[in-house]
Amino acid sequence: MNYVHFPVLAVMLLFLTAFLIVIFGRLSSVLRNALALIGSAGAFAMIVYLIKPVMIDGEIISYWMGNWEPVAGYAIGIGYEIDQLGLFFALLVVSTILLSCIYSFKYMEKDSSLEFYYVLFLMMSGAVLGLVLTGDVFNMFIMIEIMTFSAVGLTAFRNNRWGAVEAAFKYLIIGTIGSSLILFGIAMLYADCHTLNMAQLSSILSGNINPASLMAFAMMLTGLGIKSFIVPFHAPAADAYTAAPSSISMVFSGMVNKAGVYGIIRLVYIIFRAMDIRQLQYLLAAFGAVTMFIGVTMALAQHDFKRLLAFHSISQIGYVITAVSLGTALGLTGGLFHAMNHTLFKGLLFLCAGAVLKETGTTNLDKLGGLSKKMPKTTICFLIGAFSISGIPPFNGFASKWLIYQAAFSKAVETGNFFFVIITVCAVVVSVMTLASFIKVTQAVFFGQLPEKFENVKEAPFLMRLPMWIMAICCVLSGVFYGFVDKYLVGPAAGAALGVSHYIDTMMGSGYAAAAGVTDIKAAPAQFSYWDPIIWLVLFVIVLAAVCFVMVTGKGDRGRISVSGKAAEDGKYATFFSGEKSLPSHVSGSDLFWGFKKDWKKYFAVIEDLHSGVVNDYALWAVAASALIIVVLFGFVR
Amino acid sequence: MMIVNYVASVLLVVLGLYTIITKKNIIKIVLGTGIVDYGINLFIVSVGFTPGGTAPIFTINEIVSGSHFVDPVPQALTLTSIVIGACVDAMALSLCIKLYKQYKTTNADEIRRLHG
Repeated sequence: MNYVHFPVLAVMLLFLTAFLIVIFGRLSSVLRNALALIGSAGAFAMIVYLIKPVMIDGEIISYWMGNWEPVAGYAIGIGYEIDQLGLFFALLVVSTILLSCIYSFKYMEKDSSLEFYYVLFLMMSGAVLGLVLTGDVFNMFIMIEIMTFSAVGLTAFRNNRWGAVEAAFKYLIIGTIGSSLILFGIAMLYADCHTLNMAQLSSILSGNINPASLMAFAMMLTGLGIKSFIVPFHAPAADAYTAAPSSISMVFSGMVNKAGVYGIIRLVYIIFRAMDIRQLQYLLAAFGAVTMFIGVTMALAQHDFKRLLAFHSISQIGYVITAVSLGTALGLTGGLFHAMNHTLFKGLLFLCAGAVLKETGTTNLDKLGGLSKKMPKTTICFLIGAFSISGIPPFNGFASKWLIYQAAFSKAVETGNFFFVIITVCAVVVSVMTLASFIKVTQAVFFGQLPEKFENVKEAPFLMRLPMWIMAICCVLSGVFYGFVDKYLVGPAAGAALGVSHYIDTMMGSGYAAAAGVTDIKAAPAQFSYWDPIIWLVLFVIVLAAVCFVMVTGKGDRGRISVSGKAAEDGKYATFFSGEKSLPSHVSGSDLFWGFKKDWKKYFAVIEDLHSGVVNDYALWAVAASALIIVVLFGFVR
Repeated sequence: MMIVNYVASVLLVVLGLYTIITKKNIIKIVLGTGIVDYGINLFIVSVGFTPGGTAPIFTINEIVSGSHFVDPVPQALTLTSIVIGACVDAMALSLCIKLYKQYKTTNADEIRRLHG
């Protein structure tokens, strides 16, 4: 089988099934679901098949549409180019699509006009897959636009619920500003270099960035930042994640903002190769740190399950951006690893939120409680996701966060710059606050008192639990066998981002990179030098076994003294045992950290005022941030 | 020369962004995104222009060295971009209709149920 056609076929299959559903989806729901499953499973199979040649054998696949190959060193046609970095993100995309599609069958069954849901879903999937596989910047822009449209449509899908249309409108306006900036940047790049091919752009721009291309870089960076929802641009994302159906929230955090992250990595590491500019590192690291911090503090203040998860999603993207901004092999490995883990655990958490929403009809943390008795399997999945996102060993969040701390700190040691020490401390503090807010969610939703109206709540159906279990197992496996993941997935991807000459040669003909004077940065393998997660796994198992042992053997009257017979009658012990019935606490589970919130009252007042909900304000942030990026790049780089 | 086009296109983009930021009517905000698009389209089409060039329509035999024509790629890009801009406007306006039905207003200051 000739696998060079697979990437294009996978993208086309998704679009083809989308359009087939437009025509035939109304006939029967079984046919519609079957078409959606064929599309997503087919794309999954084709992309997974490419692991062997691309990831393991190190081949880079190039594919010219209509066989328009470069003439005299100039790329004219549209080319797809699948290197390890692109395939890494493509794998995240196809697995998210497949799991979300399976989940949707049961989760969305009560909604009407479902054929449009699947059409938009498949179009968005195809667009993101095309975006990560393409080797042409204008093609990338088209894919970004299709992705934004379908995402806006899906956000507004349940427009009978309040907030959905509003969220979609804000997303569309801010998203359009982002797309316009990207297009402006691409036009400037074309004016400067007369090509749209990434490989050729990379070899032309290598080492000679003039003011025009620097301006293009600033605009594209801002636009892709808007697409990945880093902090000044994050407000519509929180609304959209809250308002969209949960299967779509998972897709948003699993692949739509990953598409933006992918774009940033492709832009700074491959097209412009600008990561050796120190000011750019500071700029991106500052954006990442602010994203982490504001995301997690906003999450602490939330009272809605999905909105809280949305702010955590933003905060975790901050980790990825920070790690990527360091410009070292270790940082890039940590960032990509965290991007992958974020797809797994955040998808899992959103699916759990969806299960809770479907069974109880609400995501308000003040109204939920005690669901662990009714939905034990969902609870276990949620706990695995919560442990992973909080970075508790041996789950996968620990492995990637550990790499990021290490990378940031070694960068601080290497450069002797205090700035990176602050970044490292910020990353650790944010991780602690993430844990705190997940203790709050777990307490508010799954433990505590069960409200009476939820007495009849049932466990989520099997078809919804299946994707949750798959993701939960992946969370544990990728945390324990981090070395395996690093060797076959993350490592090659980081290597591809650092060594571009192979990428250029495959696309433009061998020797092209050397002729343009492109040199590779040496990639070093990632090491978990100090703390090995395996040790933590062993410790975890031992503690778990000890707890189980105590629970099994000490069963019965542990901690309880029964007063019976004569002693009970004579009332001697009544002082101690009659007592009043215990009063419920006045602090609800969703307000577990009220003391912290009181101490930081002023900060929260300011930050909540800033998230005003007015679309003009959000647009102002976006424009102001783009002005800031332009000023920093022009003021300090040149 | 093309300098007038470049200045005009940047002015259009800036005016569009100004509209998005300052106008409170959601219809006007949508029009602002449209103005940004027009500015960018003008910019792209100006990039491909060369003074004195003919339309880039040739068969393989007609092309001789020294043929002078404008760059066809930006024109294709502009066409795509215009289509996308029209889609953005259509979608945004349809959302405006829905918003007006739900909130009974077109004032962006009052459409803020999701905040904080």
